[in-house]
Amino acid sequence: MKKHDLPPLNPKSRRRKKRKISFRKILIMSIETLWNNKLRTGLTMLGVIIGISSVIMITSIGQGVEKSTALEIESLGTNVMIVTAGAARTGGISLGAGSASTLTWEDSQAIAKQVLAAKSVSAFLQRGQIQVVRGNINIATTLIGTDLNYPIIKNIQPQEGLFFSQADLDASRPVAFIGSKVRDELFSTEKSAIGADLRIRGKRYTVVGVAETKGLSGGQDLDDIIYIPLTNMSSQIVGNNALTGVAINGFWLEASDANQLNSAQFQVTNILRLRHGIKTSTPDDFRIINFVDIMSAFTNVMGSLTLMVGAIAGISLVVGGIGIANIMLVSVMERTREIGIRKAVGATSGSILSQFLTEAIVISVVGGAIGVGLGIALAFGAATIFKFPFIVPLWSIGTGFGLSLIVGVLAGGIPARNAAKLNPISALHSD
Amino acid sequence: MATMIWMEGITQTFHLEGMDLPVLKQINLSIDDGEYVAIMGTSGSGKSTLMNIIGCLDRPTSGLYILDGSDLTTLDDDELADIRNQYIGFVFQQFNLLPRLTALENVMLPMIYADVSRSARLKAATASLIKVGLSDRLNSRPSQLSGGQQQRVAIARALVNHPALVLADEPTGALDSKTSQEIIYLLTELNQQGTTIVVVAHDVIVAAQTKRTIYMVDGRIALSANAGVQPVDNHLIANAAIVQR
Repeated sequence: MKKHDLPPLNPKSRRRKKRKISFRKILIMSIETLWNNKLRTGLTMLGVIIGISSVIMITSIGQGVEKSTALEIESLGTNVMIVTAGAARTGGISLGAGSASTLTWEDSQAIAKQVLAAKSVSAFLQRGQIQVVRGNINIATTLIGTDLNYPIIKNIQPQEGLFFSQADLDASRPVAFIGSKVRDELFSTEKSAIGADLRIRGKRYTVVGVAETKGLSGGQDLDDIIYIPLTNMSSQIVGNNALTGVAINGFWLEASDANQLNSAQFQVTNILRLRHGIKTSTPDDFRIINFVDIMSAFTNVMGSLTLMVGAIAGISLVVGGIGIANIMLVSVMERTREIGIRKAVGATSGSILSQFLTEAIVISVVGGAIGVGLGIALAFGAATIFKFPFIVPLWSIGTGFGLSLIVGVLAGGIPARNAAKLNPISALHSD
Repeated sequence: MATMIWMEGITQTFHLEGMDLPVLKQINLSIDDGEYVAIMGTSGSGKSTLMNIIGCLDRPTSGLYILDGSDLTTLDDDELADIRNQYIGFVFQQFNLLPRLTALENVMLPMIYADVSRSARLKAATASLIKVGLSDRLNSRPSQLSGGQQQRVAIARALVNHPALVLADEPTGALDSKTSQEIIYLLTELNQQGTTIVVVAHDVIVAAQTKRTIYMVDGRIALSANAGVQPVDNHLIANAAIVQR
């Protein structure tokens, strides 16, 4: 290069000081661009909204169902066990309906006396499909004969009247404490069921109380039950006269606390095997269901359920993320010419990248906020319709929001960075 | 008169499928401040490539380019963007307006990157559009404008930052002859007001308006002629190219 060929450097050069576009201008421009391209903006946002709202809805429903199931199990009592007659045959034995007559009233009395960990014991006789009549109304319901410990262990509260008394039990009186569904079916036209008569298997009983509504548990309607004194059930319905040697379906045992349940189970097993003269190699002729075991088994199941729900949420997040990434990519690619025009009139790579990143962030944040709102609304709707607790885990909002932001910024930013790096003429000739 | 453009030994080589394709070969060019220059040549002669380098839209493979006393070969991409923004107004054959923006917003675009306030942008863009005769179409989008009107918007955009240099790459290539006349008249008027203009022209009618015409053949400047001197045919230009070699 020959120096003397150079023109004199222009002293009055109009080259001005380099200016940098302010972030505020980029933000305004980004929002204007998004507003001017409503369809593209809407579609991109829809991807974010669907992604986030499905994550929030699914995790919320998962947690709500888990919580409601846990509540239901807890309502059974966490420190109780049920002992039912008869060894397990094929399959399981339905709760409280042991069929073989291997347990007696005396067994339950012996357990109550000898097992120190037992706080209370409640023997019961149970028969299903018992005909009950009031006037010209005729229903079939479940009949349970039991003692005064039963409502304590099973947490049954009267909404009207009282449970039958010790005197009723001792005197084997024909009195009935009825479930709310039985009341609704038999006494729907009457002001109160208390003091009214009904006929169980043709025999007359007086209603002394109505139980609070409990709902379904383990497939059984807890409100479609009539409780009568065990003594009366034994003599009038099942057909034995004395309690000694009376077969029972089983008994509930409440331990003094949940930690005592396993030792109580151990003692119950030993005492019953001894009383029934069962040899070492022979299996038990009774069955114990420990609710702590059920609870922990259930917690395990729910744990995997939650994990599965999380996985589904993750998948929906990935799908949503791909949706966001896809439309961002397409959007940036079809805007390469726009990038060329902007660069031709003086935009730097940095300002192009800032604009596209800002657009991606605005879409992710606004779409994210709408998605969070929609997800919460859907979860609330589902919880209301299917009657489970409404829980929205904060982490699901955070994860959904964060991921959509990251995906939006990467999918909007990386191709924008590549396009911004092109020289203006390549970008202008892109289509 | 001050020198606006000074080019020495500019070459541009494209790489296509492993092959070197020299498009510009040792271009030496000097254009003074206030000149009105046309670049002519057949398709593939390198005139658009030269224009892109003059306009800082592309970098040369080698050579020296001094614009108004600043050595552009030493500048980085951001500094070149700044030069495009502050020094150069570009008018393209295909207008290159942003379809979603109104005429006013399109014209305001260069000033956004110059960090001008919104009120100042509005004022300058409106003035610029009035200057090109579009005072009644400020809020029209490109799709609502005719080709000639779109090119006027593009010219208004090119002028809005008061550039020292306006480059027009076949500005009438997509227009009918009557509209072309109006655009050429507009450019001529601009030059009379002191703006340096370089225009790539595909017909002699455009070139005839300029004060100087540069003929390019096969990546070289074959002839630089003052107004009124028109080559008889391409043979003359080709011969001139051979003579230069």
